[in-house]
Amino acid sequence: MTDALKIAVVTGAGSGLGRGLAVELARRGVKVVGFGRRQAALQETGGLAGVNFVPTVVDVANFDAVTTAFDGIEKTIGAVDILINNAAVYPQKDIFEETAQSLMDTVAINLGGTVACSRAALTGMVARGRGRIIDVASFADIAPIPTSAAYAVSKGAQRIFSRALHADLADRFPDIILSTWLPGMLATDMGLAEGLDPNLAAKWGACLALMSDRTLNGAVFERDLELLPPQSFKRRVVNRLLGRRPNPRRLTP
Amino acid sequence: MSGPWDVIVIGTGIGGGTIGRRLTEQGLSVLFVEKGPAGHRFEETPITGDIWQAHARSLRGLSPRAVQAKIDGRESRFFAPLGAGVGGSSVFYAATLEQPERHDLDDSKARPHPTGGWPVGFDSMAPYFNQARQTYQIHGSKDPLGEPVQNLAPPPAIAAMDAALLASLHARGLHPYHAHTAIARLPDCLNCVGHKCPKKCKMDGRSAGVEPALATGRAEIMTDTTVIRVLGEDGQVTGVQARQNGMIITLTAQYYVLAAGALASPNLLLASTSAAWPNGAANSSGMVGRNLMFHLNEIFALWPKGRIKMQEPSKAIALRDVYYQNQTRFGMVQAMGITARYGEVLHYLNQMFDRSRFAKTAMLRPLLRLPAMLAERLLGGAQIFVGILEDLPYEHNRVVATDDPDDIRFEYQLAPELHSRRRGFRRAIRRALRGHRMMFLHQQAELNFGHPCGTLRLGSDPHNSVLNADCRAHDLDNLFVVDSSFFPTSMGVNPSLTIAANALRIGNHIAKITKEKP
Repeated sequence: MTDALKIAVVTGAGSGLGRGLAVELARRGVKVVGFGRRQAALQETGGLAGVNFVPTVVDVANFDAVTTAFDGIEKTIGAVDILINNAAVYPQKDIFEETAQSLMDTVAINLGGTVACSRAALTGMVARGRGRIIDVASFADIAPIPTSAAYAVSKGAQRIFSRALHADLADRFPDIILSTWLPGMLATDMGLAEGLDPNLAAKWGACLALMSDRTLNGAVFERDLELLPPQSFKRRVVNRLLGRRPNPRRLTP
Repeated sequence: MSGPWDVIVIGTGIGGGTIGRRLTEQGLSVLFVEKGPAGHRFEETPITGDIWQAHARSLRGLSPRAVQAKIDGRESRFFAPLGAGVGGSSVFYAATLEQPERHDLDDSKARPHPTGGWPVGFDSMAPYFNQARQTYQIHGSKDPLGEPVQNLAPPPAIAAMDAALLASLHARGLHPYHAHTAIARLPDCLNCVGHKCPKKCKMDGRSAGVEPALATGRAEIMTDTTVIRVLGEDGQVTGVQARQNGMIITLTAQYYVLAAGALASPNLLLASTSAAWPNGAANSSGMVGRNLMFHLNEIFALWPKGRIKMQEPSKAIALRDVYYQNQTRFGMVQAMGITARYGEVLHYLNQMFDRSRFAKTAMLRPLLRLPAMLAERLLGGAQIFVGILEDLPYEHNRVVATDDPDDIRFEYQLAPELHSRRRGFRRAIRRALRGHRMMFLHQQAELNFGHPCGTLRLGSDPHNSVLNADCRAHDLDNLFVVDSSFFPTSMGVNPSLTIAANALRIGNHIAKITKEKP
């Protein structure tokens, strides 16, 4: 199946995890269209990723620009097989440092970018009946820490959007496969110095993006391990009685 | 193209799709009017009652609203397994296109027909059964007990589990054969039983009807367009009113073909009241909506003999050994294409629950998961079969008028003779399968709401029927009906082949009278 996948769009490809994902996918023979706001940063990624990388300056919060970019890719490069919604910002602002507008500007990138890119990619994916979308997500919404309002709200909403998209699509288009990936705290500009090496995380992400098994539809992975949905008490009892064991999948770097 | 149209076809299932194709191939121009959406060609949407929001259902090509039914005096609401999109219900069907028996249509001394026989006899239908088998690319093996058939492509190879069952049924002296299915078996065939086919492999009202019709360039389709009223005067339909994007539009043609299904078609005619038609269109007899029939499903688990590894189920095996016994009309027995797995059993129990008197206590519904798990344990390895029991026409079983064409309401009572025939059918199945491990999966009578028919019956007497032998309304010179509404009796087989064959027959008829017109 993986042979059929050829073109990936990675958002936020100018730095951090996005750069790592672009490099890793390009290394695995995928043509990567990298979205980012800064041409210079994208070119730096291109220097690492090589000829398989196509830099595309587009702000994912500019929804019209996103649509235009996808139209252009489908016309000049080809069908988008994989979308990785990676672009995000984490402004670290106290609520008194935010205005309603500044907070919603962050939502426009972190949630709006995922919505805009997914919607644009789906036009082609639905016409072909197949595609792969990975949302890079976080746990920031579960117990928001100080100065995370904009990030926590937008990333939480992004996961809800993933689930809603799954509800809209999964029964009709089992070959458009949506997965959520929580890479964990990374040693990037946005993350923590003692966090995980983004290049290792990128290997897991690339592995997940290149898997196209129908059963991955709606699946959630944390770092390299599948996060199974919580089961009811009754289901756990019955599984125990029937000797069934949950069997989460693991991503290989 | 934008008209004027020779023919407007309302509904695009087996009946509407097939006649539209035949009409365009005969050179006529056709406008399909479909209540549901165009959908996406790569969908694999399953038929389900789990999605309940009307718009979400409509987008998937499912009938948007629950039907309201009064069954044996008890009110219930449930989602009938019916489609409402391009291809109608047929895009979801299991593509079983079985030919009826001669006695299903004809009256004879040996096998008297309950209505004295269809006005169109078996021999008149036979050439169209053959044509329909070609149009629908039907694969299967000949029923050793049945009438001769043409245009039956050889069946696909069968699984070991099926082969074992076939052998033991043969050994029992029975006459199993490979069921007749309208699946072209293209490479990577997904065996789309119960869900839409993303390829042009499963032949249905869309792939074998609407799409080839559109390809001729002589047809057009309006989707998301609900016909709400038939207009007319002096024995003629002059147009149909439809709702499209919240607007009311009027569409006109020379001929009108109604193919909205045996529940929606009579509902539309009943809604078309006017000064000239106080009881609705084509209803001077008062018979519109009456004689509603379903089949009764007798579902049972059947285990192959010996230790056979559980495999993907196929819908391969059919038999007609108990179709007619001791002057009693039963019906055919066929594999349902499922094995007894948790999901299937649970889905089935949920359906039963929703129609039961416990339906209002929705809290209890999750409790069904436990019996479903037990059933899976008990039934593992079994193939699920269904006996299709013929239902007979009664005037008091009927579709009744509602204020909105999207709302379907019917009243149905299980006749005492049906209950006793049911007991006889179950006994006959049990006896026929003696020596096999088998188990009926329900005690209650199970109406097959996916097989409604008979509500605009064919007949020679305009006082007790709605349509003449050409499926034209007795009252209206240019209105034809080609869905299962026309069936005088429900027969002992799945309705699709007969609907398709009849649509080809009426298509030829309309083409002929159009060409004869000055």
